[in-house]
Amino acid sequence: MSKGKKAKGVQGKPAWGAIPMHLDEPETSKGKANQVSVLTFTVNDELMALRVEHTEGVVDCPRISPLPSPPDPIIGVASVRGRMTLVCDLSLNAARKAAKRRLILIKGEAQLGLLADRLEGVIALSPKKIRPVSSGKQPVKDRNSKGEFDLPTASFFKSGNLRVHIIDVERLADM
Amino acid sequence: MEDKALLSEYLSETEQLLDSLLSDLDSLGAQPGQEVYLINRIFRTVHSLKGLSGMMGLGEVKSLAHEFENLLDRVRLGHCLLDRKTTAALREAGAGLASLVGNAVRGSADPEDFDRLREVITTIAARAPASGENAEVELPGLSSRERALLTKYERRRIIENLAADRKLYAINVRFEAAALDAGYRALAAELNENGELIATLPGEATGPDRVAFKLIEASLLKASEIRRILKPFGGRVSQLNPPSRRKAESRSEDEMQLPPTAYRLLSASQTPPHEEKKSSAKSPSVFESLRPLSPSVRVELSQIDDLSGLAHELAIETQKLSSMADRFLDAAGLGARERFDLRLSGRKIKREFLELEERLVELRMVSLTQTFTRASRLAERLAGDLGKAVSVEIAGRETQLDKVIVDRISDPIYHVLRNAIDHGLESPAERRRAGKSARGRVKLEAGLEGARAIIAISDDGRGIDPLDVRRRAREIGALASDEELSQEETLRLIFRPGFSTAEQVSSVSGRGVGLDTVERAVHELGGEILVFSDEGKGTRFELVVPTTLVMISAFIVRVGEWRYAINVGQIVELLYVAPNDILGRDGKRSIRWRGYTIPLVELRYLLALGGARVLGRPGETEHAASIPPRARLREMASARQRVPVLITRAAGLHVAVAVERFDEQREIIVKSLGSLARKIKGVTGAVDLEGGDVAPVLDLSSLLILRSLRM
Repeated sequence: MSKGKKAKGVQGKPAWGAIPMHLDEPETSKGKANQVSVLTFTVNDELMALRVEHTEGVVDCPRISPLPSPPDPIIGVASVRGRMTLVCDLSLNAARKAAKRRLILIKGEAQLGLLADRLEGVIALSPKKIRPVSSGKQPVKDRNSKGEFDLPTASFFKSGNLRVHIIDVERLADM
Repeated sequence: MEDKALLSEYLSETEQLLDSLLSDLDSLGAQPGQEVYLINRIFRTVHSLKGLSGMMGLGEVKSLAHEFENLLDRVRLGHCLLDRKTTAALREAGAGLASLVGNAVRGSADPEDFDRLREVITTIAARAPASGENAEVELPGLSSRERALLTKYERRRIIENLAADRKLYAINVRFEAAALDAGYRALAAELNENGELIATLPGEATGPDRVAFKLIEASLLKASEIRRILKPFGGRVSQLNPPSRRKAESRSEDEMQLPPTAYRLLSASQTPPHEEKKSSAKSPSVFESLRPLSPSVRVELSQIDDLSGLAHELAIETQKLSSMADRFLDAAGLGARERFDLRLSGRKIKREFLELEERLVELRMVSLTQTFTRASRLAERLAGDLGKAVSVEIAGRETQLDKVIVDRISDPIYHVLRNAIDHGLESPAERRRAGKSARGRVKLEAGLEGARAIIAISDDGRGIDPLDVRRRAREIGALASDEELSQEETLRLIFRPGFSTAEQVSSVSGRGVGLDTVERAVHELGGEILVFSDEGKGTRFELVVPTTLVMISAFIVRVGEWRYAINVGQIVELLYVAPNDILGRDGKRSIRWRGYTIPLVELRYLLALGGARVLGRPGETEHAASIPPRARLREMASARQRVPVLITRAAGLHVAVAVERFDEQREIIVKSLGSLARKIKGVTGAVDLEGGDVAPVLDLSSLLILRSLRM
């Protein structure tokens, strides 16, 4: 299954399948230069985003094997496309059911995957809409027993009144 | 050359060196200001080539490389002018060397090829010395007094004439004092017409009215022809440069100022016509065969990994396909025959995929040759710096390990070796007093033991003094003053962080400059380090590492609903312990094993699976977390289950690790966890299991160390 998807992904666009566009952002029209495509998803009811060019595809999350004392936010390892993927859960709520979640594969040698409860869609943003996070780090509310931990993000955009954090892949790999 | 693997490694390494040599020679002159840097690099490359050739028993190539190296050294030191001609000639020599290496390996080298290249090299060496005083002329026919009489210019003329392959004659003549002027002039004119009169030295006078001269003449003419010219004047002719090259070559390298064949030189600009013809007719065979030497190609490790991943996925897909086909056959109600055929070919494909994966693993294997060779050079150099004499013995350099392991074990090897030379070996005087030979011995050995390789570094030095180790350990707080330790446990103290920073230790007992880092590096590879010492007789370190990071023999155990793989190399013994045999209480349990009491820990505890982060079925997780470990064990025991326990070693101690179930032993392909793997302690990788499941491969000894530090 995975190779087929990967082959499609080679064109530069990961194979999402049809992802409904939930967001009421008007600027999804393609062809506009300089636009940034982001994949939006929810983790614990919170909307987050990843730049599409940082992703490699999305799979149904396979069974995750826990690792001894991994650094946050890694919760375990799963085998995806013949490759060991370190699964990151930004909610850090390990007790939640992993079965129905999706795993967003992140490009790079870190072999990371990011757990998402639901994929929302891909939207194109004008770079103007992307704003840096002033402090550099944003504590995310609704932490569980692990306590607060900083979300690996450097920028966000607004969707209505909602701040949507764009996950910084380098920070994620550096945590 | 009988060892094929060694040969192919030599070729691959040589080819890299030649590539860099030729490209550096090409850049020479193209980038002004870079000459010194380039020449130095070329010098080092040729030096490495020499070492490699020597190692492979290619004596001729080695000796040529040596001459080339000498020449480059002269250029490097400014004794030989680096102008355009020299540059061109160096390029020619480099190309010649490249083709010779190839021919030598193929066994098709012509002795004449070697001579020709040697000529090219010596030509450059004799060309245009940067200054006269550096040039030294050795002419057996001249006395030292006569040599001293030669001016710088005359010396240079001699060298240049030699370089032009002219013969050098000493002509002894006597003239009547009265006819001296006319006679000398006539002879000089004659000699200059047939060559070059270089110098006129005083000869042996035989009477008051006769004046004797010794003339130095360079000419292409034969001695008999010179004699004919000389006939009207009387006198004797002797050739100064011996035509035989053999004599010159037989001298030892050390006494050479000029390369041995300086007498018969061939300069590109001054080649006599007949010589030129010969050399141009000959050159194709010498310089043209530049086709690649090695039949191998170099690939990135990551490409092999990609192929492995692909092969694995193909295997899984094929398996799915065959089970699907099985069901279809069933549904179609086809007979046993078809099903049998199908299974047979399914199994065959599976076997072949497995073999494919194994072959890919083999591709990553390299020998320890380079590491050991470098280590031995390093040892000799270091010993020299320290005023010690050492002979380094090497055994088992052909042992093959995964490239990544070889790369990562090199520094630990050098580290231990440095310690052996610096602290292990005594000074020559001390050794003599101890009744040993002044020259110390260091041995580097490698060999396979199952799926592991043992790399041993031993010396015949003073050994490790346990009293000093105890004292130092107490100083750094690694040992309580009343604590009794076995000899083995005492020695292991040298791996404690901070043990060796103090000089006073190294001067007495001698060991342990940062050995904790060595131990850590070895642990990270899933290996262990052992130390043995015999006081006064020597020390031996053994680095035990897996031969491959990817294919290991592993034992699969279960904890809760998860499976973990443990390298069988880390397992000393598997046993079932009866509940009554578990001693002690909360957090300090132990069992009796082989007459010792050893600590018992639960794998679940080591893995921190009792915590809130367990991804298990919530009910079971909470259950497991809420019950104290001891009670859990008791619970298992009360169920009349004997507890599966594996014995392992960490930091030199035996520890019993309780698991929940033994699964099976199997050969597994360990996959990397990527660039973040370093941050995940206690795990060396993960392995795919059936059903899309994954088993992390545990490194028990680092897990135990990790946990014990936190306790």
